[in-house]
Amino acid sequence: MGLVKPKRSSLGRATRLARLGAGLTGSYLAYQLQRPFLDDREKEVRRQALGRKSARQIREDLQDLRGPIMKVGQALSMQTHLFDADVVQELAGLQMQAPPMHGSLMRAQFKGALGKYPEEVFASFEPEPFAAASLGQVHRAVTKRGEEVAVKIQYPAIREAIETDFRMLRTAGFAARLTGHLKESVIREAERGIIEETDYRIEARNLRHFATQLAPLPFVRVPRVYDDLSCERVLTMSRVRGVRLQEFLETNPPQELRDQIGTGLTRLFFFQLFRIQALHADPHPGNYLLDQDGTIGLVDFGCVKYLKSEIVRCYAQFWSREWTNDPALFAEIIHVIFGPEVSPAEPRVRRCMAEIRSFYDEFHPLDGPSRALDLADSKFMDGLNALAKTLLKNKFLAPDFLFLSRTESGMCNLLHTLQARVATTQIAREWMPPIRKTGQ
Amino acid sequence: MKQPAEAKKGKAAPKGKRNLNKERTKEKILAAALELFRENGLEGTTTKQISRKAGIAEGTLFNYFKTKEDLALFFFQKETNDLIRWYGQAARLQDAPLPEKLFAIIHRQLEYIAPYEEFIGAVFFRSLQPRSKLSPLSLESQELRLKYLRFVSDILAQAEEKKEIPPIGELGAYAVGLFYMGIVTHWLHDPSEGKQKTLALLDRSLRLGTTLLKKGGWDW
Ligand SMILES: Nc1ncnc2c1ncn2[C@@H]1O[C@H](COP(=O)(O)OP(=O)(O)OP(=O)(O)O)[C@@H](O)[C@H]1O
Ligand SMILES: [Mg+2]
Repeated sequence: MGLVKPKRSSLGRATRLARLGAGLTGSYLAYQLQRPFLDDREKEVRRQALGRKSARQIREDLQDLRGPIMKVGQALSMQTHLFDADVVQELAGLQMQAPPMHGSLMRAQFKGALGKYPEEVFASFEPEPFAAASLGQVHRAVTKRGEEVAVKIQYPAIREAIETDFRMLRTAGFAARLTGHLKESVIREAERGIIEETDYRIEARNLRHFATQLAPLPFVRVPRVYDDLSCERVLTMSRVRGVRLQEFLETNPPQELRDQIGTGLTRLFFFQLFRIQALHADPHPGNYLLDQDGTIGLVDFGCVKYLKSEIVRCYAQFWSREWTNDPALFAEIIHVIFGPEVSPAEPRVRRCMAEIRSFYDEFHPLDGPSRALDLADSKFMDGLNALAKTLLKNKFLAPDFLFLSRTESGMCNLLHTLQARVATTQIAREWMPPIRKTGQ
Repeated sequence: MKQPAEAKKGKAAPKGKRNLNKERTKEKILAAALELFRENGLEGTTTKQISRKAGIAEGTLFNYFKTKEDLALFFFQKETNDLIRWYGQAARLQDAPLPEKLFAIIHRQLEYIAPYEEFIGAVFFRSLQPRSKLSPLSLESQELRLKYLRFVSDILAQAEEKKEIPPIGELGAYAVGLFYMGIVTHWLHDPSEGKQKTLALLDRSLRLGTTLLKKGGWDW
């Protein structure tokens, strides 16, 4: 029961899924078979070629299927430790889009969810959506008390469609075939994450949590939830001002404003990371609403990642670099981000850490931390991408850590597009947690 | 529903008025019966209970409805009249694309029957028996059926005129009628909250159907 492009039958869909499974089965099987006969270097080359080829195929097939299955791709792309960099990049490019609802369906769904029609509970309600969401659409409305709100309404039976898609995915053998390394537990985890996003009550909870936690940042606006007008499938929240990045750039904002917004976005990132230890996990540009007064509206809390504090503390070390002359600290970092079985003395570990260090030394230097980094600089972006590639290649890295560095990359991409100049090091150090757990 | 006060007993009312009164009594009986069906189920409700609740003699009841099927037929007549009246007033829908029109119509029908799910469930399956008065083949239900088919044909004809779909003739309305029966069956067995699975099915199959028609994917 997936959300099919109207012109494709579900039979075609099943066939396609099966082909997806078979295609991967075929190529992976072939790879597995010749494995013992290849030397290590050759193996690596083959694996990469295979990764790229099947990654593109997966992306194209999933893209074509649209529907919830695409969400699977997105979720899998979060499991960065399982795939090659190319696969991850291909998968991350998937954006799900529920089919649009016409007025009659939207009203029916709204009534099914809240017991009344929109026009009965709002003073006014725009029947045309003003934004698309991955699982539905967003409408402008005004409450009976005159407050401007955004009402996110989910396409009906999305959860059932996702469950069906996962069932099909399993039957198609996709899960087992995609590997070697894609375990049932991973699929289950991906499914759980997506299903969670279909429950807007969870998003409402995240919104409340972040609204409280982000209160110390006056330049950030988080929507307020209207509980009596929200449920699993409808989320009513205060409408936040501002426009998406692309639209913002079309107004030709002066450099100072770019810098101000860029600084705000950076502070927002580090405050979440170091203080809240939770990240609004989707650095999708559509989720930041930028205003001419330099403030930032933050929307879309469907996917929030709560981080382990040891991961956060180790990550902070990249910014403070205290490990460079503290072997015990170095060992601790290796333990946390590479895992207990990896020795700090291993050459590949040292190479990886050296690369991290030289990148941070070059672009986020400790001397003169208040110096602004020009994020428009393509040299910086190249360095960042090279580092991301190195990290993604390393299958031993803790998934949470990889997730974190991907989010940082996403943020930098945003700042690059914005062409902002930001004193990154200074901001990072503002809320940095203590190096060691207290009492240690 | 506003109606003139009931004519006093004994006085011979003019014919139009007599019909109106008859209609009113039928509605009273139907309302009583539907409420009892909801409380006690279709089988658990006796004609005695219905007549008592409607405030009429049990013998009189049979003058109006000989069986529960007659009652159901009356229910569907009212439902169809309501639908046609509602559609005539739904200004928003007149310019909507065909899939939305059909969605809105069928959804309106589902909303109408929603409070009486159990009753509908019981009579719906009876209607599949050829000898039932509700069966598409029965003489009693012809008038109702024709009214519905004409209503749907008009809508399809408009869509044909607007070149939304190729000419499909009479068959189109029959197809919509059958489709509606299928949707009701799904709806009756839909355990999802707010029956959203039925909403999704309705939306997607209507879009699929219209797209297929447009592409000439169906050979008539
Ligand atoms: N409170 C709000 N105020 C103003 N605009 C909003 C608000 N909430 C959502 N929007 C707009 O609607 C768009 C989609 O909403 P949101 O991002 O929450 O949906 P989503 O289901 O998470 O979709 P996606 O996964 O595509 O981001 C946002 O990008 C934003 O432009
Ligand atoms: Mg979003």
